[in-house]
Parts: sequence; C-alpha cells; structure tokens
Amino acid sequence: MLETILFAFFALTAIFCALGVVFHKNPVHCALLLVGVLLSLSGLFILLSAQFIAALQVIVYAGAIMVLFLFVLMLLNFRQDPDVLTPGAAKGFGFLFGLLVMVELLWTALSPNGGEGGGLPAAPPLPADFGSPAAIGKILYTTWLFPFEITSILLLVAVVGAVVLAKRKFA
Amino acid sequence: MNSVMPPLVAYQILAAILFTIGVVGVLVRRSALIIFMSIELMLNAVNLSFVAFSRQHGSMDGHIFVFFVMAVAAAEVAIGLAILVAIFRKKETANVDDVHLLKG
Amino acid sequence: MDLALIIESAVKVLVVLGFTCVSVILIVWMERKVLGHMQDRIGPERVGPFGILQTVADGIKLFMKEDLVPKQADKVLFFVAPGLSIVTALVAMSVIPWGDSVELFGRTIMLHVTDVNVAVLFLLGTTSMGVYGIVLGGWSSNSKYPLLGGLRSSAQMISYELAQGIAIVPIIMLTGTLSLAEIGRAQAKMWFVIPQFFGFVIYIICAVAETNRAPFDLAEAESELVAGFHTEFSSMKFALYFLSEYANMMVVSGVAITCFLGAWNGPVLPGPVWFLLKLGFFIFCYIWLRATFPRLRYDQLMSLGWKVLLPASLLNMAVTAVVLVMKG
Repeated sequence: MLETILFAFFALTAIFCALGVVFHKNPVHCALLLVGVLLSLSGLFILLSAQFIAALQVIVYAGAIMVLFLFVLMLLNFRQDPDVLTPGAAKGFGFLFGLLVMVELLWTALSPNGGEGGGLPAAPPLPADFGSPAAIGKILYTTWLFPFEITSILLLVAVVGAVVLAKRKFA
Repeated sequence: MNSVMPPLVAYQILAAILFTIGVVGVLVRRSALIIFMSIELMLNAVNLSFVAFSRQHGSMDGHIFVFFVMAVAAAEVAIGLAILVAIFRKKETANVDDVHLLKG
Repeated sequence: MDLALIIESAVKVLVVLGFTCVSVILIVWMERKVLGHMQDRIGPERVGPFGILQTVADGIKLFMKEDLVPKQADKVLFFVAPGLSIVTALVAMSVIPWGDSVELFGRTIMLHVTDVNVAVLFLLGTTSMGVYGIVLGGWSSNSKYPLLGGLRSSAQMISYELAQGIAIVPIIMLTGTLSLAEIGRAQAKMWFVIPQFFGFVIYIICAVAETNRAPFDLAEAESELVAGFHTEFSSMKFALYFLSEYANMMVVSGVAITCFLGAWNGPVLPGPVWFLLKLGFFIFCYIWLRATFPRLRYDQLMSLGWKVLLPASLLNMAVTAVVLVMKG
C-alpha cells in the first residue's frame, strides 16, 4: 500500500517535471526540472531495491552532470528563445512521431507475450544483498570486467576531448 | 516480498511515457541545450526500464547496464557541452537551426 | 508500520533537529569568542553571561530586517536556494550515529535517526545536492559578484568532493560496510586514524574546503567578492545560509569522527558524551584554522584539489588495497 502511494507520487512528479523540461521557456528552470526528474527516478530505484544505483543517480547524474549543465548555462548566458517550439509544420511532425513512439512502446509493454507485460511468472526470491554495492562489485569485476575497463578508457577520452574542444586558442 | 509491487507493467508504462516526452523534446525544441536535456531524459527512462526488469528477474545485470549507461552519459554530456561551448563562442547562438553551414 | 517505531523515529528526528539548531547557535558564539581571544581581544561579552546570547540577539536582528528581493532576480529560485542549503545539511545529519544503542521502555533504540545501509553514499549524495543551494543562490541574485562567487564556490565544492569520497574508500575497505553505524562499531578496539592517518589528513583538508571555510573561503570572503553568493540575501534568507554553513561544518565533522576518530568509543564516559567532546574539538580546530592561516587564492585552491589531493587520495587507496590483500 505504502509502496503504491510512493510509486504514484514519484511517477507523477517525474512526468510533470519531464513535461516542464520540454515545454518551459527559461533554460535554467528546465535544468532544475530535469534534476527533479532525476531525483524522482532515484526514489523509484529505491522502491525497486536498487540502492546503489539510486545513490549513484543522485551523486553522478543529479549532483555532477546537471551541475555541469548549469555551469555551462550560467557561464554562457543563453538568451531565452523567442518561440519555444520549432515553428511551422515540423512541430506537428514532431508530436506525431512522439505519439507513434508512445503507441509502439505501450503496445510492447502491455502485450501478453511479447513485452513480458501481462503473463509474467512470479518474481524469484531476491538474494539478501540484491542491489547492494557488494553484489554489484562482485559481478562488475568478474563477469563485466572488460566493459568496465573499456568504460574507463572512454571516460579518459571524454575528459581529454572536452578539454581540447573547449580550450580557448591563445593566438 | 517477492512480487514487484506495484506491478512491473506500471514501471514500463512510466518509462515509455518519459521516453516519449524525451523524443518529443528532441524533435520539437530548437535550443541545443534543451535537446541535450531531452536526450538525458530518454537515457533515464531506459535506466528505469532496466532496473525494473532487473528486479523482476532477480538478476543484477540490469544494474550493471545502468551503471554503464550512466558512465557513458557522463562522457557524452562532457563532450557535447564542450562542442556546444565551442559553437556558441563562434556564432553566439545555441539555436540548432542556425548551425547550417554544411547544408545544401 | 507499528506505532512504537513511528514515535521513536519522530522523537529522534526532533532530538537531532533541536540539537543541530541549538549547537549552531553555540558554535557561532564559540567562533566569535575563540577568534576574539586568538586575536587578542575579548569578543562578545555584553549580551548574557560571557556573551552567550549574542547569537540570539543576532537572530532577532536578522528576523526583523527587511527582506529585499532584487528587481530582476529570479523570484522562485531566490526563495528556494537558501532552503536547499539548509535542507541538505540537516538531512545529512540524519545518518550520523551519536552513540551505539540504548535500552528504553523495553526496546533497543539505535542512536541514529536512520540506518541506511549505503550511508556513506547517502552522505556523498546530500553533499552533491548542497552545491545547488550555492549555485542557484548566486545565479538568482542576477548580479555579477554573487554569480561569480556562486560559480567559484560550487566549482570548489565539486572538486573537493572527489578527493573526500576517495579518502573514505579505504575505511570502507577496512570495515567491508558502507553503514556509518557499523563503521563506528568496528572502531571499538582501535580508531581508524592510526592505520589511515594520511586518509584522515586528506579528508580534513577536503572537509574544510567543502564547507567553504577559511583558508578556502575566497569565494565568500568580505574583502574579495563583496560577500560572494549570499550578497543579495538579507534577513532570514541570509540567516539560513549562515546556519547551513555551520550545519555543514557539523556534518563533515561528524563524518570525520565516525570514520576516523572512533565515533562514540571511549574509555569511561557514555558514547554520546564522547561524540560531543570530539565534535567540540573539531569545531575548535575549524576556528583555529580560520584564525591562523591566510586565504588561498582561487587558482591555488583548485590546483591543490586536483593536482595534490586527488592523486594523494588515490595513492592512499591503492596502498591500502595492496596492504589488505597482502595481509590476506
């Protein structure tokens, strides 16, 4: 019962903040509404017993990536767009395509066999340390070691690339 | 407490709605930063879907996927914002319709 | 969800909130007195015995002041930003254990508001969210000094968060748990400051930089950027920023005590008394640092964080890992 209430609260917050991100005028407000989405998703992750991922979502996504967004916004002082949405027919095509995507996703999610929507077997009993950092560490460094190492190289490339791209060239 | 309560379908529908809002954001807004934020919204919707499935199957592989998605998203945001900063310095605009020098 | 649990949690929340608010008042008084004596003057002495009610007088003054909002300021963010700062600081106090457990009314009551099993990550998360209070305060004031001060403060906080988190990792390796209560219990025999002395030093430096205190307070020092990000805030909003700085000081001191200085463990006195004594000692050291060291320039500050402390904490973590593996 409590879980359903919490789910409803977090889900509605996420949806309203997401709509705000897409349709709001002021870009700083959009960034803060996106932080709201991230925090609601973190709450949903805790409901799904994913404590480590929930904590990472707050620390990495809401606490670092969005702060980076805000820094760029504030330092570059973006003017607000005069019209928020793409003018003309492109707007209509955008909404139509979005509608198609939603219909397709809901079809898959709600179909009985294809999307594992309705006829799921009961969830197996969870191990005691499900979602804990120890369990993640165990499989991250054994089964998923190679993607882990590749990701570290990827992050190094990103850091070097960001510095090179954003550097001012002193003539 | 074995069954996912509320049921898994609810999480998938929520992920679908968030993903769609992100898609609409990318297609309909003109400011490059907002398009970026909509991409992040899409990535987060996918993360939610992964974690919900992981809970349903009792396997932690979904969590690992989310971990990697977060790392890649961080890298992508850093590079994307660097590109944006470079373009903004040149052209003083963040409007994607104005960056059309390679067109036609 | 039984009633006894709800009552117990409510009482603990009230106790922690009350304690934090009262001790912030005392810390402000202590700072002015101690700073005064270190600078060869007396400090407040008129309002109440030894000037102890000075902070209350300041609070009444701040309450009565006019609450200005700059004309072009972003009204919503201007209103929300100080609240964000104080909320993250107070929420972080909820996982810090001030004792082991106590037997009351037939129940074993653990002396921390909640026992999150990823408490260290929770603390890192709330510190990350605390950056928003500062950056939004600077931005919403719509004025150049607060904006620069806010951006500088938040860049400083983010840089030192990394080294701070990595300095705690060897403690997690030593105890095998992320829960602060467990880390406290694991130090019953030996405080972790002895094997992890370098980690302790790195953590202390990062903690002082995180809370924007001297010698790392360039972004809000009066002689530098007017008052940094809280220039345009007056009355209760300024009071909230002021209080959140001291609450943050208490939080990072609490974490340092729990992870390195043996939490509540000590020979004769009960746990919470030891915790209070250690906390008082830490706050005294904070004030001592402020009275002694000159301010670091901003580029010196950033290069200290990235070029010295981050490699040092990584090295500390690597050496701890190697030693732990060799010991089997």
